[in-house]
Amino acid sequence: MEEEREKKVKFSINDHQDILVEILKRVDGRSLGVAACVCRQWRSLSRHDSLWENICFRHVSPPPYDVRHVVVALGGYRRLYMVCLRPLLTRLSCRLSRLDSVADQEEERVRSNRVWTRDEVQLSLSLFSIDYYERLVLGASVGDEAFTSTSSSSTSSSSSLMFLYKAVNV
Amino acid sequence: MGPYNSDIPTGSSGSSSSDSSSCGRKGSDVDGFLAGAGYKVRSSDLRQVAQRLERLETFMINGPTDISQQLASETIHYNPSDLASWVDSLLSEVNHNQPLPVSSSDLSEFSSDFHCMEDLLPSPPFQQYSDLTDTWIDQTNPQPQQQQLTAAVAAAAAEEDSGIRLVHLLMTCAGSVQRGDVASAGSLIDDMQALLIQVNRSCGIGKVADYFIDALTRRLFSPPAVCADSILENEILYHHFYEACPYLKFAHFTANQAILEAFDGHDCVHVIDFNLMHGLQWPALIQALALRPGGPPFLRLTGIGPPSPDGRDSHREIGFKLAELARSVNVRFAFRGVAASRLDDVKPWMLKVGPTEVVAVNSIMQFHRLLSSEQSLETVLAWIRSLNPKIVTVVEQEANHNQAEFLDRFTEALYYYSTMFDSLESCTVQLEKTVAEMFIQREICNILCCEGPARVERHEPLVKWRERLGAAGFGPLHLGSNAFKQASMLLTLFSAEGYCVEENQGCLTLGWHSRPLIAASAWQAVPDTAITAAAAAPAPHPLPVPQSPLVVSN
Repeated sequence: MEEEREKKVKFSINDHQDILVEILKRVDGRSLGVAACVCRQWRSLSRHDSLWENICFRHVSPPPYDVRHVVVALGGYRRLYMVCLRPLLTRLSCRLSRLDSVADQEEERVRSNRVWTRDEVQLSLSLFSIDYYERLVLGASVGDEAFTSTSSSSTSSSSSLMFLYKAVNV
Repeated sequence: MGPYNSDIPTGSSGSSSSDSSSCGRKGSDVDGFLAGAGYKVRSSDLRQVAQRLERLETFMINGPTDISQQLASETIHYNPSDLASWVDSLLSEVNHNQPLPVSSSDLSEFSSDFHCMEDLLPSPPFQQYSDLTDTWIDQTNPQPQQQQLTAAVAAAAAEEDSGIRLVHLLMTCAGSVQRGDVASAGSLIDDMQALLIQVNRSCGIGKVADYFIDALTRRLFSPPAVCADSILENEILYHHFYEACPYLKFAHFTANQAILEAFDGHDCVHVIDFNLMHGLQWPALIQALALRPGGPPFLRLTGIGPPSPDGRDSHREIGFKLAELARSVNVRFAFRGVAASRLDDVKPWMLKVGPTEVVAVNSIMQFHRLLSSEQSLETVLAWIRSLNPKIVTVVEQEANHNQAEFLDRFTEALYYYSTMFDSLESCTVQLEKTVAEMFIQREICNILCCEGPARVERHEPLVKWRERLGAAGFGPLHLGSNAFKQASMLLTLFSAEGYCVEENQGCLTLGWHSRPLIAASAWQAVPDTAITAAAAAPAPHPLPVPQSPLVVSN
């Protein structure tokens, strides 16, 4: 009995990074962001762009090929998700679900299970490229620290995309 | 209007691309009966026109006899086919000296048009301008809702009343300005300033009236040199206008989509941008070309813009940034900047178009600046055509601000810019909104205060551009459903729900509450030997030397 209990106590997910990564590969964006706040190890794991790549294009059908070099060049999947995809999809799903006046949890479910179309991907990539360019032109130097802090009021986002961050004003 | 329906011609949008969810001109059907009598009136306008005629009749019967006699015998009808605006102008003449008979019955009449009484206070009253002018003197209807008026509604209604009076005074003042009657215009301006105190100046009709009164004041009392613009300021204002509202983004995205589709299958492409500014349009195109199946082409970009006053080569800097972006996404890229204060100064040899290149010409709100002389536009269109472009993307404001008569321009501008200010209300970032309003204010001042070559904001509607471009040897290219979908998606991102994208015979328009404000279209050179022969005749003469063009390549 004691040995069994000892075995159970000794198991820690932090010792099994590969399992942890497998789990994190399957969560949605919000959960991954929350996971980054748990501890230093989880934070460094959650920073891996490949995890965010899954989140960005997991639901896209058909999956876009060969966009990786462009996305990485323009700032990485994590930034793409934070700056463009998440606000875009939130806004789009809000538009749809507002008509049915659903509860918050319902909206969350809608948002995460929705299949994203190629057009939405294209649009978000275009906005992402404008974001990158504005950072170049305006010379704003962005550290990764800046935009992981809060979901809203991101000081690092370029001004052209600020409209994505402001509350939807009906 | 039951018996008229059978005469109305149908099918104004049947031939357009399959994805149009709403036809561009809903009310373009002309009433059959009145058409027979020589008056072209849209069926959707019939109610308005009938009400105005009733008002006119009331005035003629009940008003002073000399005015009604004058109306009956001496009024000259300049444009019999435009019945609605004729009646409007008659009424504004009549109302010049009459007090505005707004009674509480009228207030209840139009307050019942609103869905929620509570919304009256914060929402801009000018949104429903057409409804208000229809119903404020509609004395034939009963007033059953009068008892339901609360104090708040009455106060809001009083403000609506002031708003209507302001509009009325504005029109009257513009009429005086057109006639050259400075004294009465000045006194009207004083009246309006007094009225402005009662109205909320931070939104709606108050804000619009504020700007227009300012423009009228400048026209009357300021020297004409005020219209000069600083280039650096222009860039800043333009940038904030880009961020505050979707019009420029819509323009860029739609043009990019059309250019992308035109460049399909070509390896060596050249884009000529008539107004480079910060080059905000091009990152998205570069990224889209990077991701196109088959790999990116060799992209050359020529940006035309005014030279920087402080000697700094701003085009070169923009070119460097774009090149950096292109390099990071593996697109072969070359940039050239052409500095020219006016588009007429640009000659085709400056653009160094290669023989095997596929050319796209992009003009975002630039063509209308050439309209101060017909010759300028024809020349520019001719040399564009001589480049044999695969596509010419043209985006212009959808308004008629180039009329010769000041009052016509004023009226049109009042409608157009009040709609635009309305749409700007939804912008939540205060700084951008304020600076964007300054950008719009510059346009308004240019339209109203300047004349001759100084007046560059000579907006013309899409139908006129179609004629001009058709006459210059260009045929329309339909913007596909992809552009429409992208534009619709872009709009859902903006917080306000009043924006609407419409398709209009292959062109896309973006508007606010079914009033199109900006129109995007695409054109291609129609093979026509006669036109190319005319364009080929050179007339060399000393030119202002442009800044040495820079090629930045990877």
